[in-house]
Amino acid sequence: MNNPGFSGPLERVNDCCWRIPSSYKTGMRVDGLIYASDELIEHVRSDQAAEQVANVAFLPGIQVASLAMPDIHWGYGFTIGGVCATDPNEGGVISPGGVGYDINCGVRLVRSKLFHKDVGPHIETLIEEMFRNVPCGVGRAGKYHFNHKELRQLMQEGPTWLKQRGLATDADIEHTESRGRLDGARPDFVSERALTRGMKQCGTLGSGNHFMEVQVVDEVFDEEAAEVMGLEQDMVCVMIHSGSRGLGYQVCDDALKTLRGVPEKYGIDLPDRQLACAPVASPEGEQYVGAMRAAANYAWCNRQLLMWQAREVFETVFGQSWQELGMSLIYDVAHNIAKFEEHAIDGGRKKVWVHRKGATRAFPPGHPEVPEQYRQIGQPVMIPGDMGRASWVLVGQEGSMQQTFGTTCHGAGRQMSRTKAVRNAKGRRIDQELRARGVIARSRSWKGLAEEQPDAYKDVNLVVDVVHRAGLSKKVARMRPIGVIKG
Amino acid sequence: MYETFEHTADLGLLVEAADLNSLFAEAGRGLLSILVEDVDAVLPRHEVTIEVSGTERDYLLFDWLSELLYRYETEQLLFSQFDVTTGPNGLTAIARGESLDAERHEPTHEVKAITYHDFVVEPTANGWQAKLIVDI
Repeated sequence: MNNPGFSGPLERVNDCCWRIPSSYKTGMRVDGLIYASDELIEHVRSDQAAEQVANVAFLPGIQVASLAMPDIHWGYGFTIGGVCATDPNEGGVISPGGVGYDINCGVRLVRSKLFHKDVGPHIETLIEEMFRNVPCGVGRAGKYHFNHKELRQLMQEGPTWLKQRGLATDADIEHTESRGRLDGARPDFVSERALTRGMKQCGTLGSGNHFMEVQVVDEVFDEEAAEVMGLEQDMVCVMIHSGSRGLGYQVCDDALKTLRGVPEKYGIDLPDRQLACAPVASPEGEQYVGAMRAAANYAWCNRQLLMWQAREVFETVFGQSWQELGMSLIYDVAHNIAKFEEHAIDGGRKKVWVHRKGATRAFPPGHPEVPEQYRQIGQPVMIPGDMGRASWVLVGQEGSMQQTFGTTCHGAGRQMSRTKAVRNAKGRRIDQELRARGVIARSRSWKGLAEEQPDAYKDVNLVVDVVHRAGLSKKVARMRPIGVIKG
Repeated sequence: MYETFEHTADLGLLVEAADLNSLFAEAGRGLLSILVEDVDAVLPRHEVTIEVSGTERDYLLFDWLSELLYRYETEQLLFSQFDVTTGPNGLTAIARGESLDAERHEPTHEVKAITYHDFVVEPTANGWQAKLIVDI
């Protein structure tokens, strides 16, 4: 089936930003703005992602512009890499599609006192042990089981609840976005179906693009920020990418079912059913917001438990406690979420619902929501790349508050469809190719590895260059993978 | 007949059948083909009856596929054969399949959900067609 490219207008704003004028489609309330270099904008023209940026501009109450980060790619409804802010006082809506099925999918980075020379000789054992102990892939239940009552408490409090069980520390919580707890969570709005899906999945990686990766600091770009984070050249870290698992998917699914016919009820005209939304101040909107916040808190617990298991694996392999190994959490960021935040808009200050669909909060130095340890350098941002090349650690910059509601990119962004990636991998052993590049990869399925091969993604370095130049966030360190487990 | 089609981050599914009941059955098999490597390796060892209510055709197909996903995720049940009877208020299906056996079935994708993006169920010259995108 052919996938036509985008033939609409893309006007250059500057060397990092392109505009889709609101005149492009009747019904657009604001312009679309896409952050991209000359090279990356060619990817944008190749599919319908830009059309989706234009479609998001239809949402009632949208402020300033419908934005997209340089890792933009074609999603369903919202583009992946999309950001939009809506003002409830201007009829602003909340849209589950602007968060995605994987509510609070995100990334965390754990440092260690180990260096490449310490871990290199043991990397095969380490990855094997990780693959055996960290549940990943389809149908693998976790070792932590929670009944419905426990799940409701967990969704109310986030990782703070895990602390009472000895599975989280104060420092872990302090270094998690929003301290791992969105206030106003309504676990009672989460359906029985969602709870059932979530019972055995907290602490499991899942499948698709989710991973647990052992990385080394390849190059430091900002010595001061790296020092504050405790990062040094060649230091070994663990990056974890996962979200709210089946529980979150079901919360989104339930919300979209509830929203059938609702936009019409409120007189909202939408170009795509997947953009379904409701005014924030409506029973349907409030229902979704409460359930979404609960699912987000679940996701933070999921990544916390994944990290806990990674620490245990290191303890087994290196024969020291995780504290002795210095495995402290640097930071955890959400990149599929909607949050109620205050921003400077049209010369005043407004509280708006910022939807980040494949986009990461990147608050600048001095922002009160940045943990005290990082307040002088800005909020740490983790950008996973692909499993062959690189990932990045950035910090938020003032430009993000001025341009993108405190937001930057979230990853490399796919450039190859899954079907094409599998075709491209026919007859190849991706695991052996990665080994030749110095990366030990274990996956539950050949197809999974084929779909996630490095070539399926844009070069993350190009994406990060754009957000760095645009002043949305600043390069701190580039990370190189040495081992990865996938679902 | 079903086939998957390209979508950058996810996967598309195109289904065609001579009548509506067969369309629902084929869509069930099409979904299975995204979940496991070999559809025919899923043997009809158990039989369950699944009922889905709904009055709108496209939402009914959506809910039917969502129900199959839910059974897979919570009960690890895969279905490969379906007798579907659709009516004005929903559908009743006899679904045959078995529990997931990772060695034999080779699970390939975790489907997060069926999406509404470009979701179409429509009559064609030869019967019915459905097109949808699943979130991977």
